[in-house]
Amino acid sequence: MGNGDKGRPSKKIKFSKEEYNRASVPEDNNESRFGEDMDEDRDGEGKKRDFTKLELKPDHANRPLWACADGRIFLETFSQLYKQAYDFLIAIAEPVCRPESMHEYNLTPHSLYAAVSVGLETETIISVLNKLSKTKLPQEMIDFIHGSTANYGKVKLVLKKNKYLVESPFPEARYDDPICSWVLNRLLHDEVIGRARKLSDGNHGSEGFMKGKSAAEIGGAHDELLNEAELAAVAEEKETHSFEIDPAQVENVKQRCLPNALNYPMLEEYDFRNDPVNPDLEVELKPHAQPRPYQEKSLSKMFGNGRARSGIIVLPCGAGKSLVGVSAACRIRKSCLCLATNAVSVDQWAFQFKLWSTIKEDQICRFTSDSKERFRGNAGVVVTTYNMIAFGGKRSEEAEKIIEEIRNREWGLLLMDEVHVVPAHMFRKVISLTKSHCKLGLTATLVREDDRITDLNFLIGPKLYEANWLDLVRGGFIANVQCAEVWCPMTKEFFAEYLKKENSKKKQALYVMNPNKFRACEFLIRFHEQQRGDKIIVFADNLFALTEYAMKLRKPMIYGATSHPERTKILEAFKTSKDVNTVFLSKVGDNSIDIPEANVIIQISSHAGSRRQEAQRLGRILRAKGKPQDRVAGGKEEYNAFFYSLVSTDTQEMYYSTKRQQFLIDQGYSFKVITSLPPSDSGSELSYHRLEDQLALLGKVLSAGDDAVGLEQLEEDADDIALQKARRSAGSMSAMSGANGMVYMEYSTGQKKLHGQMKSNKPKDPTKRHQLFKKRFG
Amino acid sequence: MPQVKIVARNFMDMVASLPAFKLDKLYENSFICEAILRSLPPLAKKYVLQMLYIEGPVSAKWLEEWVLPDGVSKHKVAVDRLIQLRILTETIERKKETTYLLNPTFQSNLQKHIVHGGVLPREPMASNITVRLPTLEDLDAYAVQQWEYFLLHLINSTEAEKSTNISSSMMRIFQRGLLNQKDDKEPAKLTESGFQFLLMDTNAQLWYIIREYITNCEEHGVDTADLISFLLELSFHVTGKAYNLNTLSDIQRNILKDLTDLGLVKLQQGRKESWFIPTKLATNLSISLADTSSRKQGFVVVETNFRMYAYSTSKLHCEILRLFSRIEYQLPNLIVCAITKESLSKALLNGIAADQIISFLQQNAHPRVAERTPSVPENVTDQIRLWESDLNRLEMTPAHFYDEFPSRDVFEATCDFAREYGGLLWENSKKMRLVVKAEIFPHMKEFLRKQKQ
Repeated sequence: MGNGDKGRPSKKIKFSKEEYNRASVPEDNNESRFGEDMDEDRDGEGKKRDFTKLELKPDHANRPLWACADGRIFLETFSQLYKQAYDFLIAIAEPVCRPESMHEYNLTPHSLYAAVSVGLETETIISVLNKLSKTKLPQEMIDFIHGSTANYGKVKLVLKKNKYLVESPFPEARYDDPICSWVLNRLLHDEVIGRARKLSDGNHGSEGFMKGKSAAEIGGAHDELLNEAELAAVAEEKETHSFEIDPAQVENVKQRCLPNALNYPMLEEYDFRNDPVNPDLEVELKPHAQPRPYQEKSLSKMFGNGRARSGIIVLPCGAGKSLVGVSAACRIRKSCLCLATNAVSVDQWAFQFKLWSTIKEDQICRFTSDSKERFRGNAGVVVTTYNMIAFGGKRSEEAEKIIEEIRNREWGLLLMDEVHVVPAHMFRKVISLTKSHCKLGLTATLVREDDRITDLNFLIGPKLYEANWLDLVRGGFIANVQCAEVWCPMTKEFFAEYLKKENSKKKQALYVMNPNKFRACEFLIRFHEQQRGDKIIVFADNLFALTEYAMKLRKPMIYGATSHPERTKILEAFKTSKDVNTVFLSKVGDNSIDIPEANVIIQISSHAGSRRQEAQRLGRILRAKGKPQDRVAGGKEEYNAFFYSLVSTDTQEMYYSTKRQQFLIDQGYSFKVITSLPPSDSGSELSYHRLEDQLALLGKVLSAGDDAVGLEQLEEDADDIALQKARRSAGSMSAMSGANGMVYMEYSTGQKKLHGQMKSNKPKDPTKRHQLFKKRFG
Repeated sequence: MPQVKIVARNFMDMVASLPAFKLDKLYENSFICEAILRSLPPLAKKYVLQMLYIEGPVSAKWLEEWVLPDGVSKHKVAVDRLIQLRILTETIERKKETTYLLNPTFQSNLQKHIVHGGVLPREPMASNITVRLPTLEDLDAYAVQQWEYFLLHLINSTEAEKSTNISSSMMRIFQRGLLNQKDDKEPAKLTESGFQFLLMDTNAQLWYIIREYITNCEEHGVDTADLISFLLELSFHVTGKAYNLNTLSDIQRNILKDLTDLGLVKLQQGRKESWFIPTKLATNLSISLADTSSRKQGFVVVETNFRMYAYSTSKLHCEILRLFSRIEYQLPNLIVCAITKESLSKALLNGIAADQIISFLQQNAHPRVAERTPSVPENVTDQIRLWESDLNRLEMTPAHFYDEFPSRDVFEATCDFAREYGGLLWENSKKMRLVVKAEIFPHMKEFLRKQKQ
């Protein structure tokens, strides 16, 4: 207090930010001690834990789960109480793996934070857990839940009538007793928060909090579980105390409440019904937009108490994330800023808004480098990319104006797609640039190879809901995918080169260009195109391979340097034309390009051990196809989608492949190993049947510059968003990733000419070929 | 290491493999005749009964007429079995006419047995003497516990811990093939057969042990026929009833002591008398002669992510699972393990075959998953097999390496020479180096010596 130096506070914040980063390290350690991370777990032999001393309850057979002192929980899926237990566990614990019969969960500080934030209370968590458990709850677990939840969820940041209020609920409401509001007192004693407080006219003195009531949870699934008095108590209205803070200080106050400082992480809620300041957006869902049960459930977690909570909803690809996003926007009915990862998905989001809601054409606008629209009226929806908002360089005058508008507006909802791909620093930037009352993050795969996932917890909010993939498959909501790992032995010549030291930079090119892999790929394409009439996506991270494969097989391809109109054109042809059944995609296709027609994926090269990439790619074909009754187990088409991962045996790929599959395996998927493709009795009609051809290919790989085939191992930064505007920092690395394809720029010339041809020509006409091939063969 | 593969053969195979005079001696006991009759395939049973009151040989043609044309293969099996057991003797006469004769001892004993009924050499004791007999459930539990204890002992003897409860004669049986002890100081190690043994089902294990036991006794001068007839006799006793030990010979009493270790019988001591109570394992000996289908309820759930959940409280199960998986959690009634490449390689290196693990998992599948096909996820079984074949990818050939040849001529001549002997493994003509199989080394030596001259 009494500190006159204006520069001080911001410096302090900077410091505390770093401090937070550093402080999060021991916290993570703490987490792995308790909620043991699976990967670590699998590496260490003999780490078995003996909990045989736990006392079994006499009626244990009717109860669905075991809880261990170290936080691990095992759930029987065939128990009669499975559904209830699942809903409960997903709210309080982190799923580790969810195959068919037995699920495993971990209780972690973060998962408990999420639980508390959706309105579960410490005692409820413990008593429900105890009811479901076959054994008496280990004391360690009870202590842990108490310890973790003691501070969480006690403080809320509410934007009410455009005032930022710090609110704390206390049920044992003797509000004249200062002890019961000690949390708020403690916060106020903090220098930063104390200064941020805005004293309103009527109230003086630190004990003079505003008093109010907030509705408690509206009917939760857990009530069914315990129809008892303790839950009834929860359902009553609660006394809350609050004080107002200066809007300009909100970020600082939030910072101070993080676990490394005061450790009262704030929950953000938006009382959108009582917000007369921001104009309403007149939209509702169209009648045909019927959210599915799990979509309803995820929304109910978000709007559980009549306010909108900030947080993340995790649904598998193809399960209808966009409907959840649109529904949320329609419920809040305020201006909405929707952020996507690239221009294609911006178009798709705009389309989804128009498809599901009654939004008018002039209420929604897209803001990308190609299209700079503005909505009319005083409320609307803006769809744009993270890059457009976070872009630090010079913008055109028009863009600058729109950005200014976005910055100045108070958004009701900040809808963020694919939050897993966006690096934390970009989030900080986006979130600090835009003022929003409520943030909703959507993703399919909340895994990253770096530790950034926990950042999301505090930047956006806790995970509100996560769906079980297998349950959705069983319900027919997403496709039932047959996953296979195809083992392609290296040919003798390629393997010899692979082992040579001087080729260390070409290793990837060598195992991706392995003729056996090429032949397996060609065989699969032929099989699925001709025998089943499927639509196929082939993924290759290695740009050299992508081009070689696509050219040899005469298929269209999309990579980083492919322009937006051309991408749209190729995808359109893939969707509608009978003759374009296969498309080659580089890494740019991993996320958010919606290709509902595709039902086969062949992956010829991939980004090292990225579990997320594998899951995202699988997600491209998860959208349910065919009739639901055919899809269920035993139906006509039990499997109607296929995911092939081609790996060259005895190379690094084998190691990565196992690592990559882990996430999907934990979701209950299984990978079948196919060892002989093409079958030994066929294959003479495929490419590279003759040794000379193989050697020619080998020569080509070897003579290509190290830069073109690019081959160090990728750094772990590939979790970065596939930036639309290529970043050229890491040279050859980004070249192979497909995010940057300057070398191949020549192929994307002449697109204007093609524009007309694509539309006018009949499908059979050879000129409908991708211009890349037209140049060569046409 | 002995390369014996354990075949889960049944008791009767063993009986059939006895020498002729011993078999004939066995048939003097009418209980054995009945037991053998019970164990026969249905058609063979019918032949025996049909021929029971026929004196003299029966022609093969006659026999063949009893079956329809599509039963020929079954007919052959039945006749082969009967001949194997020396119940029928085959005579080929001069006109190439084949006739069969029923074993006279067998025939007359069985006839007597049918007419007069069998009388066991001993009767159950009166209940007023044996007041505190265990209930059948208790007895079952006892038998299971004893059997598990015995198997656990087998596993644990690999750890230095020595338990003396198992008699030395039983330990000798272990050492016959299941355990391998180089010297007394080192703890015994499970052999390949020992690991395989642990994955068998209880019946197969019982047969194996009994067979080893019989062979072992034979080596120590006990008459196998006596032993076998006693074992078979035992199987006709009633489970849970008490039989006086006085009715047994000394040899039989010794045998009984060993069988107690296995849980086949329970010994009890009254005030004056002592008695034995056969358990299900003992009476199963005769049932299992014909029937192997009596399965225990399974307890293992294997998931597609290679995690394995075993509903069991048994320490033995835990130890068995540990043979090929990593135990991660032990809960009051659940064992959580993971099948990993490392854990499986360990099992494979111990000589357990992938198929044995897979069939163990399938046979012990929890009822929840046993109904679905496959009961063990396909990707898991495939992977286990792939891991096994991974181990067999490299072939080791002892070899010799040559280089620094004085001239290209010598090098090429040597190559030709090695090739001629089929021993050339690798050559590099640029650097003039070659590798040959070790087995042609003497020839190579000779050849090169000549070249030098």
